[in-house]
Amino acid sequence: MEITINGKKTAVTSDENTPLLWVIRDELNLTGTKFGCGKGLCGACTVHIDGEPTRSCSIQLKEVAGKNIKTIEGATDKVAKAVQSAWVNNHVPQCGYCQSGQVMSACSLLSQNKKPNDAQICEAMSGNICRCGTYQRIKVAIHEAAGKL
Amino acid sequence: MSTENKDIAVLNRRNFLVSTATGLAGLVVAFNIPTTAKNALVSHATAPTLAASTPNAFIHISPDNTITMVINKLEMGQGVNTSLAQLIAEELECDWKTIRSVSAPVNEVYNHTVYGTQMTGGSSALASSWDQHRKIGAAMREMLKSAAASRWNVPVSEVRAENGFIHHKGKGKLSYGELAEEANLLKLPQDPPLKKAKDFKVIGKSMKRVDASDKSDGKAIFGMDVRVPGMVYACVARPDIDGAKIGSFDKNAAKKIPGVLDVVKFNGDYLAVIATNTFAAQEGRDALNVKWIDESHSKTSTKELMNSMREMSSKKGLIAKESGNVDVAAKKAASTINAEYEFPYLAHAPMETMNCTIDFKGDSAEIWSGHQMPTIDQAVAAGILGLKPENVTVHTVYAGGSFGRRGSKNSDYVVLAAHIAKEIKRPVKMVYTREDDMHGGFYRPMNFHKVEISLDDKKKLLAWNHHIVGMTVVGGSNFEAMMVKDGLERLIHEGVSDTHYDIENFRCEQSRPETPLKTLWWRSVGHTHTAYVMETMIDELCHATNADPFTYREKLLHKSPRHLAVLKLLKEQTGWGKKKASAGRAWGMAIHESFHSVVGHVVEVSLQKGVPMVHKVWAAVHCGTVVNPEGAKTQIESSIAFGLGAFLYQKIELEKGKIVQDNFDTFQVLRIEEMPNVMVEFVKTNDAPTGLGEPGLPPLAPAIANALFKLDGKRVRSLPYFKTAPA
Repeated sequence: MEITINGKKTAVTSDENTPLLWVIRDELNLTGTKFGCGKGLCGACTVHIDGEPTRSCSIQLKEVAGKNIKTIEGATDKVAKAVQSAWVNNHVPQCGYCQSGQVMSACSLLSQNKKPNDAQICEAMSGNICRCGTYQRIKVAIHEAAGKL
Repeated sequence: MSTENKDIAVLNRRNFLVSTATGLAGLVVAFNIPTTAKNALVSHATAPTLAASTPNAFIHISPDNTITMVINKLEMGQGVNTSLAQLIAEELECDWKTIRSVSAPVNEVYNHTVYGTQMTGGSSALASSWDQHRKIGAAMREMLKSAAASRWNVPVSEVRAENGFIHHKGKGKLSYGELAEEANLLKLPQDPPLKKAKDFKVIGKSMKRVDASDKSDGKAIFGMDVRVPGMVYACVARPDIDGAKIGSFDKNAAKKIPGVLDVVKFNGDYLAVIATNTFAAQEGRDALNVKWIDESHSKTSTKELMNSMREMSSKKGLIAKESGNVDVAAKKAASTINAEYEFPYLAHAPMETMNCTIDFKGDSAEIWSGHQMPTIDQAVAAGILGLKPENVTVHTVYAGGSFGRRGSKNSDYVVLAAHIAKEIKRPVKMVYTREDDMHGGFYRPMNFHKVEISLDDKKKLLAWNHHIVGMTVVGGSNFEAMMVKDGLERLIHEGVSDTHYDIENFRCEQSRPETPLKTLWWRSVGHTHTAYVMETMIDELCHATNADPFTYREKLLHKSPRHLAVLKLLKEQTGWGKKKASAGRAWGMAIHESFHSVVGHVVEVSLQKGVPMVHKVWAAVHCGTVVNPEGAKTQIESSIAFGLGAFLYQKIELEKGKIVQDNFDTFQVLRIEEMPNVMVEFVKTNDAPTGLGEPGLPPLAPAIANALFKLDGKRVRSLPYFKTAPA
């Protein structure tokens, strides 16, 4: 099967019922996308599929045929740079394990809403759990990134 | 020791100073200091002295002036890769922009300065490294100065170190990279002068985290991300309660899953499914459909456990602390306040589930994980693999959180991976699913408190009688011999028995019921429950006597200057007594000392349709010198998020011997919309640093409970707040 990942057409051999997460991690060795719960509950595995934030643990390989998949490794555009720089500036990551997913959700939000308010940030980021509790800084960093876009 | 030191010295020159940073790998294999789990656990408190090669073990200066700090603590979110580097950089007078941090291999030189083994825990990283790391940086600085002075043939008193160079007014300057090799041949200064606090340039500054960029763009490598050529994946079937036997399992069903290679039985009654990828291993394990038989626990429930703990609280316990005469004083009581508290088992649930990768080559092995206790992990794996510890190379990678879980008291998941590696004889990554992580241990123990407070006719406090029925934290491990004395376990009664409240007639009893589930330290350990009881009971006393919560505490804490300083700061932050909570909201407060730090919180809470909302938290913190102020604030914010989720939602329950909670739907954690606005301030002091990763948690829940009482007049004495998950 062939999928388009981070702009490149890529042949994959995983079983078509495999969750996209494990194709990305185990077959393609793109380990920035994390496993957290396997049930779409924590957001650590968030990727963009045709621009939409999607939990890659809860979508099967066969469902993404012909679609554009972007992982954290492919998040290199202006929005991603602004988000990542705001993340560093505001001491956002602690253990960092959830942050790929947080960054992907934040990029998606800012691509669709250039000046989100607190309530809109919470709505967009609610599916991303952080056990280190970096939430307050995520909010500040998203506002900062928005200000630079 | 002399041979070993010589070995290290040779390797240091070759690998640390001359090679590029990747040369660190060679060093790991070559270190030859035997360690065993037994001697690793011996606790010896000694002042840190510098072994012959210590600075080089911690600092690697490349010819290109890159400075690699070798961090001997696990980076699990608390920021040690940045803050410990700051301690060294301050004295080394290097250019902060040229530093990077890597995790240390296992070697005695990296042992904890107090616990005598290489480990991270007890909020002790900065406190225990404060003198050692500054001394290491200063020693290296002095050696670099001496090297420059001899090259220039000038007295060392004429040179100075600044921003990565040694300067001389006549001779110019030499970079650290140019001097490193010569410096390393010099004798190590034993007492290099340390800077005064007023001269600090790096300590006390909010240096950006050295790992922030890699943790924002997906580059950071966690245990879960480790890949070894030829590696397979393993998922394990384990029972919820140890001791259960396998009744039946369907090996063929597992083998039918595409990608499953094998099903192996190991170490008694464990089963591992080996597969070509993680998903197949997980699916294969589930397909095994293991039926466990455990007759002794088939009816065990946490509800019944709590009932038996309540019964135990009426019997005599062991005396953990006694002052004055509680029984005599209680006889004079005009009234009493009686309260009982219940605390459930709790899972740590770090974002990265437990995992361990092992490459066993027959006569040696390599292990990768977020090792919090690498010396013990090394020794335990070596024992299983039939190797000497020095032939097991431990790679410590980033840990996706821990909160106590990765400080495994018996290396539990390393043990599983080692058995599997031994069985299948090929590189293997053993991975827990979220459900695996939430089942089969380890947990914050269940606790029950019974408190009786006697008051005289003027509602003055006469006596405090406190019985904690708490399950062991360290039981079933080598730590038990060290940390339990005559049946008394400090990790159960800490926070009550050592209270700073000056109470004349005071008794703390402790009873330890059996625990069917394996237990472990969970962020702030005993203080998770003891602070809650102490601070909500003090609040009851304030209400009984119509006293202001600050004034009442100030009187009882008159002998504790750090507590008074925190109360003073907290008052200034909030305007307590002058300002009030917003309409429809209430303020509650609590203060508690843990890990030698004192933290006070004031929280602003509302309650709508039975749902508490914490809007704001003001935190006043006394943790000695603050090495990285923004980093320090993140630790308090983190403790607040962690503690709030537990207060509202969290419990691990047993029903008929099975664990009820599975994943983040049934074990809820705090989400972004529930995060309060946290405002942290630190008491200004030049005292040595004290704990920071945990002390922000204990006073949070009682402060909320005290605010909630103002809103609905109800005391919350059983946690979590929600007995069933809110819709």
